[in-house]
Order: sequence, then C-alpha cells, then structure tokens
Amino acid sequence: MTLFFKFDFNAICQTVLEQVLNNNNIKYKNVGFGEIEVLEKITPEKQQDLQNELDTFNIEIVENQKSILVQKIKDTITDMVFNEDTVVNVKSSVYLSEALGHSYGYLSNLFSEVTYTSIENFIIIQKIEYAKQLVIKQDLSLTEIAFKLNYSSVAHLSTQFKNTTGITPTAFQRIIAKRRDLNQQNN
Amino acid sequence: MIKTLSNNISFLRAMLYISALVILVVGALTYRSVTEVTKSSEMITHTYKVNVELEQILSYLKDAETGQRGYIITNDSVFLEPYLSARNRINNSFAELKVLTKNTPQLKSKLIDVNTLINKRLIAFKTSYRSLPKKDIEDPNFISNFRNGKTLMDSIRDQIKGVIKLQNNLLNKRSDEYRSDLMATPLLLFSLLLCSLILMYLAYNSIYKNIKRLKITNEELEIFKESTNQSEIVSKHGSWTWDQNNDVFTFSDNLYRLLGEQPQSFEPTIQNFMQYVHPEDVEQLSQQVENMKKNVELPYIYYRVVHKNGNIKHLKAYGKSIINDEEETVLLGTTADITDEIISFRALEERNLELERNNQELSSFNYVASHDLQEPLRKIQTFLSRLEDEEAEKLSDRGTRYIDRIQNAATRMRLLIDDLLQFSRSNKADKVFEESNINLLLEAAKQDLAEVISAEDVVITSDAFPSMTVIPFQIQQLFVNLLGNAIKYKSEKRSPVINITHQVIEADNDAQITKPTKPFYHKITFTDNGIGFDNEYADQIFVLFSRLHNKDEYSGTGIGLSICKKIIENHKGHIIAKGKPGIGATFIIYLPID
Amino acid sequence: MQEDYINIILADDDEDDRMFFTDAFEDLKMTTKVQTFNDGVYLMDYLNSTEATLPNVLFLDLNMPRKSGLECLQEIKQDPKFKDIAIAIYSTSASEEDIENTFVQGANIYIKKPSSFKKLKKVLSEVVTINWQYHTNNMNKDNFLLRL
Repeated sequence: MTLFFKFDFNAICQTVLEQVLNNNNIKYKNVGFGEIEVLEKITPEKQQDLQNELDTFNIEIVENQKSILVQKIKDTITDMVFNEDTVVNVKSSVYLSEALGHSYGYLSNLFSEVTYTSIENFIIIQKIEYAKQLVIKQDLSLTEIAFKLNYSSVAHLSTQFKNTTGITPTAFQRIIAKRRDLNQQNN
Repeated sequence: MIKTLSNNISFLRAMLYISALVILVVGALTYRSVTEVTKSSEMITHTYKVNVELEQILSYLKDAETGQRGYIITNDSVFLEPYLSARNRINNSFAELKVLTKNTPQLKSKLIDVNTLINKRLIAFKTSYRSLPKKDIEDPNFISNFRNGKTLMDSIRDQIKGVIKLQNNLLNKRSDEYRSDLMATPLLLFSLLLCSLILMYLAYNSIYKNIKRLKITNEELEIFKESTNQSEIVSKHGSWTWDQNNDVFTFSDNLYRLLGEQPQSFEPTIQNFMQYVHPEDVEQLSQQVENMKKNVELPYIYYRVVHKNGNIKHLKAYGKSIINDEEETVLLGTTADITDEIISFRALEERNLELERNNQELSSFNYVASHDLQEPLRKIQTFLSRLEDEEAEKLSDRGTRYIDRIQNAATRMRLLIDDLLQFSRSNKADKVFEESNINLLLEAAKQDLAEVISAEDVVITSDAFPSMTVIPFQIQQLFVNLLGNAIKYKSEKRSPVINITHQVIEADNDAQITKPTKPFYHKITFTDNGIGFDNEYADQIFVLFSRLHNKDEYSGTGIGLSICKKIIENHKGHIIAKGKPGIGATFIIYLPID
Repeated sequence: MQEDYINIILADDDEDDRMFFTDAFEDLKMTTKVQTFNDGVYLMDYLNSTEATLPNVLFLDLNMPRKSGLECLQEIKQDPKFKDIAIAIYSTSASEEDIENTFVQGANIYIKKPSSFKKLKKVLSEVVTINWQYHTNNMNKDNFLLRL
C-alpha cells in the first residue's frame, strides 16, 4: 500500500534546527526564515560541532551573506510557486523585490552570480517541478494544472515542460505510471 | 407426403372395416331372409299337411257315412267296412295332427273339439246302425239319429272348415308379414351391395392414386439417391445411419470408397469399420462412439483411417440423431475425407512459417543494418566537427570546403539511415494496439516539430478526435511525418496553414474504400497550402525512395510517406493523396472502426 | 558553484566515445572527476567494491558486451546504496518505446549521443548543471527526468 506525503520543508527544517540547538543547549530566539538569533557567543569549535550534527540533515551553516540572500530568493520562489491557495497574479519580479526588500535587478544579478543560472530559469524549474508533482498526484487534469501554474494554455505548459525536461507531460505521466506498476510487480 | 399417405391408409382401413361391416350386415340379412323363406314354406307345408289330414278325416267320415248309408240301404255289412276302418284311420290322422299341431295350442284345442264331435258322430254311427236291426228306416229314433248324425257331420265339417280357415288366416297373416319383409330385403340388400361397390371403387381409386404418387416419389427418390451417391463421390463424403435400438448400421456406397473398398463389400458394423481406423486413433474414436449413444448430437470428430494399400486418410465425421416414424432414434452421420485439406493446410502452414522466418530475417537485417550503420557515421561526424573546431586555422580554404562537403554527405547519410531505421521500426509485429487519445498524439507530434512550427509561423487547426484503438507511437510518427511534409513543402508566398479534419463515414458511401472490412471508418484529412504536386504522381509518392524533387531543392529521403503508408496498412486502413500544383496537397486517411 | 568535485562515471565499450567524453569534460570548466569503464561487468565490480567513490552522475551506454546498460540500470536501482546516483543513459538512437522504457526502469536522463563535439559539451554541461540544481535545491530525485 502506498502512502502519499506533502512536505513543508520550512517547518521540517525549523523543527530539526530547534531540536539540534536544544540538544546542544544553545539558547536562541526567533527561528525564522533560514535565520536563528543565537543568544550566546559560539566558538568555532562549537560551530563545527553544530555543523557536524546538522550535516546529517544536510543543513549547512552559511557564512556568505550573498549565499544567504540567494537562498532566501530560492525559498521565496519555492513558496511562491508551490502555493496551494493563491495563484499569484503579481509578476514574480515584483513579488520577489517586495518580499526581500531589494530591487529585482540587484536580486537577479546576485542570483546569477552565485548560482550561474537566472531567476527566471529557476522559477521555470520550480514550476515544472510542481507540475510534475501535480501530474503524479493525478488529481488534476493538464488543463487544470496549466491554469493553476499560471500558464496561458495547456500547450504553453507542454512546451515549457518539454523544453525543460525533454519529454511531454503526458509521456511523464505514462512513465511514472509504468514505474509504479513495475514497483508493484517487484514487491 | 408421408402425412397424406398415412391419412390415406387410415381412410383405406376405414373403407375396409365399413365394407366388412356391410358384408356382414348383408350376410346377416340374407341369412334372416333365407330362414324366413324356409320358415314360411315350412309353414305352408305344415298348413297343407294339416289341411290334408283334416280333409282325410272328413273323407273318412264321409266314407263312413257313405258306408253307413250303403248298409242301411243294402244291409250288406260290406258297406260297414269304411266305418270300421274309419275309426283307426281317423285316430291315425289325429295322431298325425297332434304331432303337427303340438306347437299351435289354438289348433290343438280346436282339434280336440273336432275330435269330440267326431267321437260323437262315430257314436252316432254306432247308435244308428245298432238300432238298425229293426230295419225300420222310418223309425223316428233312427231318423232323429240320422239327422243328429248329419248335424254332427255338418258341425264337424264346419269345425274342420273353421280350423282350415283359421289355419289359412294364420298362414295369410304370416305370409303377409313375410311378404313385406321379403319385399324390403332384396331392396336393402341391393342398396347395401351398391354402397359396398361404391366404397370399393373409392378405395380402389384412393389406392390407385397413392400407388401412382408413391411411384413418382420412388422415382424421385431413386434419382435423388443416385445424385447423392454422385455428390458423395465428388465431395468425398460418405454417409451412414445407425438405428440405435436395433444396433443396425447402414453405410452409403461412398463411405466404403473412403475406406478404400468397393461399395457394400463388407457388412456395415462398428467392428468392421474400426478395422480401418488408424491404431493411434482407435481408442479416442471408440470413446466418442460411446458418447454418440448418449448424446443427441455428435460434435465433429477427427480420425485417420488406413487403406489396405497403406494409404492414410484423414476423416472428419458429424452425426445427429433424428426420430423416425416409429418413434425410434436413428443417428444420421456424414463423414468427409479431408486429407487434401489437411495436406494443403500443412503446406500452407509451412510456407507461412518460411515467410515469417524470411520476414523476420529481413526485419532484423534492416534494423541491424540501420542501427549499426549509425555508429561509424556518428564518429565520422563527430571527428569532423572536432577537426573543424580545433584545426580550423590550420586548414586551407579548400580543406575547409572539403570538410564541409564531407559533413553534408554524412548528414545526408544520417538522414537516410534514420529514416530507414524508422521504416524498419514501423513493422506491426509485437506492436500493441491500445485505446488512445488521438488529440494527445497530435499534440505530441506538434511538440516534436515545435521548433520549425514556430520558426515558419505554421498555423495548425484540427477537429477534436475521438479515442481510437491504434498503435500510439506509430500514429504519432504518422502525424509527425505528414505535418513535417506539409511544412517542408510550404509555398514561398505564404506561411503554412494545415487543417486536419475528422469524420466518421459509412464504408459503402465512400468510393475510395474498395474492399471495406468494417461498416464504418474514421476519415482523417490533412490539407495544406504548400506547393502541392501533380495528381499524376498521387500513387507514386508512397513508393519507397520515390521523390518528386531532387535533394538540392528539398531535403528528404523518399521514405517518409512509405512509412506513413506502412503505418496505415498496419492499422488495416488506406491513405490517398491528392495534389493541386501551386495550391496545396491533401492526404486522406481511412481507418476502420471496430 | 561548489568546491567539491562532481564525480562522473561512464561505462561505454567504444573507445572513441570514451575519448570524446573525457575530452569534453576536460574542455568544460567544471570541477569534475571522470572515470570510464569498458563494460557493465567492470562497472558493477567497481561500484560494488569497498573503495568505490560513488558518482554523482553515472553515464551508461546501452549496447555493451557481457552486461548491457539496461541490466546495469536494473541492478543499480535495486541496491539502496546507489539511490543517490543520477543515472543517465548515453546511447545511439533507440526507438521511442525503448527510450521510454529506460525511464520506466529508473533512468533519470536519456542522452542520444550527439554527432558534434560542441553539442556533446553542451549536453554534458547541462546534465551536470541540472543534476547539481536538484542536489542543491533538495528537489525530488525520483522526478528527475531529462531527455536530451
């Protein structure tokens, strides 16, 4: 029997962080968006210990300010795309600059510098990822998915899907279904 | 026919019974008449005998009287003789009469009266002649006695007359009765005999007609039997019947021939038949024969027989039981010699296998050749590209040009191999037909051509397609090829517009479908506004490697449309092309609907 | 990008293709460590050995002697210790159904071997980049499907 899950990464990360901090007896406050206000000075060794523990969860203590911002951009975009309720009608550039308090131009340049890809590209990647998840869930038709993700038509979605992954959404659907059958056979 | 015949038989039986009845009645009536006649003649005889006796008595009395008179006259005792003998004679007669009248009490009593009177008379005689010695004829006693005697005589006569009359009356009455009977009887007899004759005639008529009919039927049967025999010979059948109740078989002439024997050359029994059955099939056949007895219908059974000369023949038998006139179950069977069919079937199977093997080899060859040719070609192209990239500066102009031409040639070869590979992949073998969403396949095809579609501003309009049972990848390939062609052969004056329509049509209504396999077809039409082609080449363009342009004008391998045709044929449909030079081309696809 | 090496492994029985592959990565300015194996058996022997450094991306040719790319794919998918490897099928042209089948069997990427060196470099660079993106953004590797 297969159980399906939906993940809220931010919630998970926060919970993990809190646990690790508590285990290490580090006082903190305001566990926010990728940030913790630590209420005591941390020695480098302590930070290394902390880092080691966090390594098991693939959580990295980021030094670089730029990286931090870039990570924020990524998280904001992820949130924006994977939003269950609102179809964001605001342009992504406006949304981002408002959410992060910087001009879009600055954000864009920074992002490209650090990740070597553009924000637009990243947005597309996220959208397609979300589309993949929706396709797998089988709740919505392609038209509904296209609408939900702000595409003007199914064809538009298909085109971008194919451009990004090299295969059509229907082929993707088919492959996932056949994979499922194969797994059931093997188990 | 049998019905009417049996009705006729009932009719004849009825006739027979009626006739018998009539004859019996006639006989009875005749018997009665004869006895009546005998009876009445006896009666007459009887009456006359009685009369005679009575007359005799009278005569005796008269004689006695005459004698007495004579004696009185002559006093000669000779004359007394009749008187003396009269008594005896009269007694005798009375005795006779007694016998004669023993059944007639009326007469009996009368005769007793007469007898009494006669006795009185005789006494009177005695008295009279006793009183005669005085010889006084004038003696008043004598005269009164004489007169008494006369009176008695008269009474006797009267009585006798009375008796006679009575008898005659009786006789008359009886003969009157008989007469009426006797009158009626001959008439009745005659009319009955007439009826009988008529019935006999009718019966005869009926029998005659039936015999005639039977004769005709018989003749027809003979002809039919003969033609059946002949048809059995021609179609290599034999037939048999099995009366299950009496376990009696009949085999038709040709059944014997199927066993390699002369007709009716041995007694038709199961055992004799089994002698000819192939030893390996005997057990199964015996089992099925057993089943035959229980079941109404014998399903097809197959077995072999071996002729005396060693030939093995394959037979196929079928039997069905029917109930005949006498409510008995008879199994009718037909056995056919299917040896020829089996032989040709086996030959066909072998040929098929051979063909399949051949096809398989060709297919593999095609596939492997195309596939394995790609590798070295790719290497050539890749190394060429590396050469271009890294040694560009060191090459002369000519060198660069040559490398260019090599690249072109290689590219062309690449295209050819790709198309050949595609062609070999469009075999039907082990391809699965699935219920598919044709609209999605069309979308996917458009996706494949997305680049060129946007580059050339191609406008594609299409009807909504219903789902169809197809090989999805092949139909997608078909769409890609047709759309690709429409775009490739676009007109320079305008951007390509392609319209795809769909209809469901009745096979009979469209002249293009020459040998419809299903009543309804999908009709899919691709129309473009490209350069078109001369309709003269409508068939040729589907031929493998056939092109209407050389490779410098338009790229292409001449395989694309052949692939389309092959795919359509895999789906048991047709494809037709129509072209108008300078205006556009139309491709019509027919796919049968299951 | 990042400081660590990206580990790449190729299994291909064709000498020229192995050469193209390693040359391409050399030209690309990515921090990659490339290993090649001549067939499926050598590959699996290495992967199953204790000193193995598991690759981030594994490129598999389909037509190899002794053990085909598909067999390797199936073996790898069944072993949980290989679950983090992104598998790319690197092959000459195959039919649509065969390509789809490799995805169904668990491949993440299908690459049709290009016939120009430039194209090869582009393709390889894309694969590595996209794989890296999946890695950094914690995206679901199961849905990582790419066809080039």
